[in-house]
Amino acid sequence: MIDHIEKNGEQKEDRMLDRLDRRRLRLAGLGLVVATALVLVAGAVAGPRAAACGDVVLNENSWVGSTANVYVIKNVLETRLKCKVKVLNITEGQPAFQAMADGKIDIVLEDWQNLPGTPYEKSKSVVSLGTNGITGVIGWYIPRYLLQQYPAMKTWRGIRGKESVFKSPESGSQGMFLGGDPSYVQKDRALIKGLGLNLKHVVAGAEPAQVARWTQLYKQKKPVLFYWYDPQYLNAQYQVVQVQLPKRTATCKDDEKKGGDPKQYACAYPSYRLDKLVSKEFLASGSPALKLVRAFKWTSKDQNVVANLISGKKLSKDKAAAQWVKANAKTVNAWLK
Amino acid sequence: MSGVVAEASTVVTPALSHRPWWRGQPVQVALVIAAMWLAYRALRLEYPWPSRLAWETLQFELDRFQVWLIEQRSAEDKNVVFAVFDGFRALIDDLVRWLEELLLWLTWVGTGAAGTLVVWRFGGLRAALITLAAFALFALTGLWAESVQTLALMLAAVGLSLAVGIPLGIAAGRSRQVARFLTPVLDAAQIVPAFAYLMPVVILFSVGPAAAVVATMVYAIPPAVRITALGIRGVPVNTVEAAASMGSTRTQMLTKVQLPLARRMVLLGVNQTILFALSMVVIAGLIGGGGLGAVVNSGLSSTPSVALLAGLVIVVMAIALDRATEAIAERTDPARRHLDAARLRIVRLQTAAVAAGIVVVIAAAKLAGVGSTYPPAAGVRQRTVTAQEWLLTRIQSVLDYVQDPTSWIFSVTEPTGIFILQKLLLPLQQFLVEGPWFTTLLGLTFVAFVVSGLRPALTTFVMLGAIGVTGVWGLAMDTLSQVLVATLIAVVIGVGLGIAAAESKLVSKAMRPVNDVLQTLPQLVYIIPFIYLMPVSIVPGIVAGVLYAFPVVVRLVERGLHDVAPQSVEAAGAFGATRRQVLTKVKIPLAGDAIMLGVNQGIIMVLAVVVIGGLVGSGGLGYEVAQGLVRGYFGQGVIASFAILALGITLDRVTQGTRKARKEGLG
Repeated sequence: MIDHIEKNGEQKEDRMLDRLDRRRLRLAGLGLVVATALVLVAGAVAGPRAAACGDVVLNENSWVGSTANVYVIKNVLETRLKCKVKVLNITEGQPAFQAMADGKIDIVLEDWQNLPGTPYEKSKSVVSLGTNGITGVIGWYIPRYLLQQYPAMKTWRGIRGKESVFKSPESGSQGMFLGGDPSYVQKDRALIKGLGLNLKHVVAGAEPAQVARWTQLYKQKKPVLFYWYDPQYLNAQYQVVQVQLPKRTATCKDDEKKGGDPKQYACAYPSYRLDKLVSKEFLASGSPALKLVRAFKWTSKDQNVVANLISGKKLSKDKAAAQWVKANAKTVNAWLK
Repeated sequence: MSGVVAEASTVVTPALSHRPWWRGQPVQVALVIAAMWLAYRALRLEYPWPSRLAWETLQFELDRFQVWLIEQRSAEDKNVVFAVFDGFRALIDDLVRWLEELLLWLTWVGTGAAGTLVVWRFGGLRAALITLAAFALFALTGLWAESVQTLALMLAAVGLSLAVGIPLGIAAGRSRQVARFLTPVLDAAQIVPAFAYLMPVVILFSVGPAAAVVATMVYAIPPAVRITALGIRGVPVNTVEAAASMGSTRTQMLTKVQLPLARRMVLLGVNQTILFALSMVVIAGLIGGGGLGAVVNSGLSSTPSVALLAGLVIVVMAIALDRATEAIAERTDPARRHLDAARLRIVRLQTAAVAAGIVVVIAAAKLAGVGSTYPPAAGVRQRTVTAQEWLLTRIQSVLDYVQDPTSWIFSVTEPTGIFILQKLLLPLQQFLVEGPWFTTLLGLTFVAFVVSGLRPALTTFVMLGAIGVTGVWGLAMDTLSQVLVATLIAVVIGVGLGIAAAESKLVSKAMRPVNDVLQTLPQLVYIIPFIYLMPVSIVPGIVAGVLYAFPVVVRLVERGLHDVAPQSVEAAGAFGATRRQVLTKVKIPLAGDAIMLGVNQGIIMVLAVVVIGGLVGSGGLGYEVAQGLVRGYFGQGVIASFAILALGITLDRVTQGTRKARKEGLG
């Protein structure tokens, strides 16, 4: 908060405060009317309100890792800082950013570098607070058992010539490459072309649909080659290994929508820094929750533990988070210092 | 025989012809397709849509438009348009919040009691029991808070959809011009996937109840308009003429003649609007609708059993709303209510008693400190028992069985899926996608011409051409192959079951809950488990399309057969027609319009779930649309949605063409 304002010139600061004031006034007026109406018509029902921290809105995304982040932070906010936390489920990417710009979401705890390059980054209505401690890895994966029969498949070269191992009902004589969720960064079509592999890119749809495809093959100990990532709690349940793709070079391209020569894409995916994002309004609010979010940092192992409690052990999200927070008081205390 | 029927009928119907209207056409269509097939064999993969004929920068222009919109939105000096949107948003947000707060303030006991008693008073005991069961389920699943949130959202969305849709439907029913203007708009609203306009909706209305309501309304208004219009138009011409000759004004005509006679259809429209709105709960959840939709969305990848449970609650809510409105409409039907003064007094007393009862229950609940939800929010100490754990364990054990590739059922479903994929879908897909673009374009145009005439053929040519120019020819042909297969299956099942339901009370009764479930259960919650049983691409998407579309065909076919004037049926019976003859020679031809509307709506419904298909492995345009939303490829999403719309318009016009052609053949 403080360094944020210091960065601005004095004039800018004045203008901002002025703007904020006007806006607050308007908001307060509107709020008063709405509140009175609600009190009169429906009666006040809200329970005891936390004084210090106030309301904080977190956004939960569709993958379990994100759920783990959100509910752990929710637990700490509620139990330690006495905040009133609301969790939204706005779809990731642009809709969530717009919601942040509108002040409807305060915090996103895991962004796979979707923010850079959007108008929201340029207008600073959504601001990155840096890494949540986890590095995201995207790549080509195969089940570990496959390596017993085809040890060379550790790298992409081992797949060349053996593509038909991955044959499926829809791939004809070619091997099947099972593509990823539409919301994830992908360049597999270009990669296949660039590497000259005889694979057919088959879209499996959203993540749960893709999981259905590859886990069924896994359970039957059949070969399967698919787009996958880490951290992912299923990686603890299923033994999968990454296929080494050609090393990254300076000219490496990653978003196949940009087009061009497929050869330029023929290199491994980059690793992703998973960022915490906050809205401009929340950044200026000086909420104690902001301090916690700044300090929040954990590992993919931590995240997988919580994710597995939710998805594997079927604990409720709140219970799973509470269990982890209790067992990791030291880490949590460090966030609150 | 046919002449007699036409005379006996009070509905003015053209005389039936003995010559089948399609004579010769199958032969011609087969010839065209054979020619296309030869071209496909000879020139396979050699002529994809040429890039010289594609507008390649279109996508970037559209992307730029979205960036511009976002910038305008967050600009300091809001322009007037946005100020209007802001006001509208605040209004709907407040409406939904107010409804929700009200339902919470009443406490869970009060809300349940009030709902049940109101339905009991106006809709009778049966509907009241269904309502009570629904509220009990909200509580037992431990999803009361989410259910109430969704209920508030849906009440607002359905109310607003009807407030817009019914007047538009009346206008369209009374004036051909209005109908002609509205039809393409309605087509677009129903076919363009919600995923494509979610982002613009979010930019204009932000996230939250207002955005969710708007997205739901776009989809739920069309059935209200269409079916109301059909009802108004279905009012017998001689009745209208009689009223006019007695000097009715236009308003009198509407309120005293057309609306009362169209009442049944208008109410069918209300029911469809409810089901359509409820089918949007999950998509609305993506942009802040919250409630059960959010539970489904967040459960899909982490805990599918929870998603399925929430999906079932949505279905039960839909059924309860549907039955309650229907029962209320029936009981308050002026045609059936013949109240004398004494009876009226009793009814008024009942109303007062119910109102007093509701107040007493709420007051008692408030005094006893009953929580606003069940189970009460965290922190409140109160002993509660829900069946959530038990239900989730049951659902999970079903899911476990489904996900087990060593199960017996898997050994049946997997080969079936592979067979359908390899023998039906892939060949058709390859035929359309990999054939030379010009033979496919001309061939399909020619088929449209043979089937339904010059204008539909021109539409086909222009629409398919536009798809090619926007650069998604291959994807669109892929989707077309899937839509054709899904529609065909849906129509075959739907018409068959519709006829069976119209002929047999038992079938009709049994179909009803099946229809309700399939129309409102969020597709993803059952299609994803289904993929475990049939782990191949495309087929699960087809299944989603068929299951979503055929109930509408059933409903419209059944309703159409029911509404055939009884005199015609009696007359035919008097001439000694067998039941089968009555059905095939009288009822089906007379219900032709309603049946064709069913086919037509079936296509539109299949197209409406193309995006769901994209999410479960069908690829094609649906995948592009879904990706467009989340990855911020606005242009890609819009172009793919436009292509879906273009396919929809083409298929719609071609099937409507056959309806007209048949009418002319009849006349």
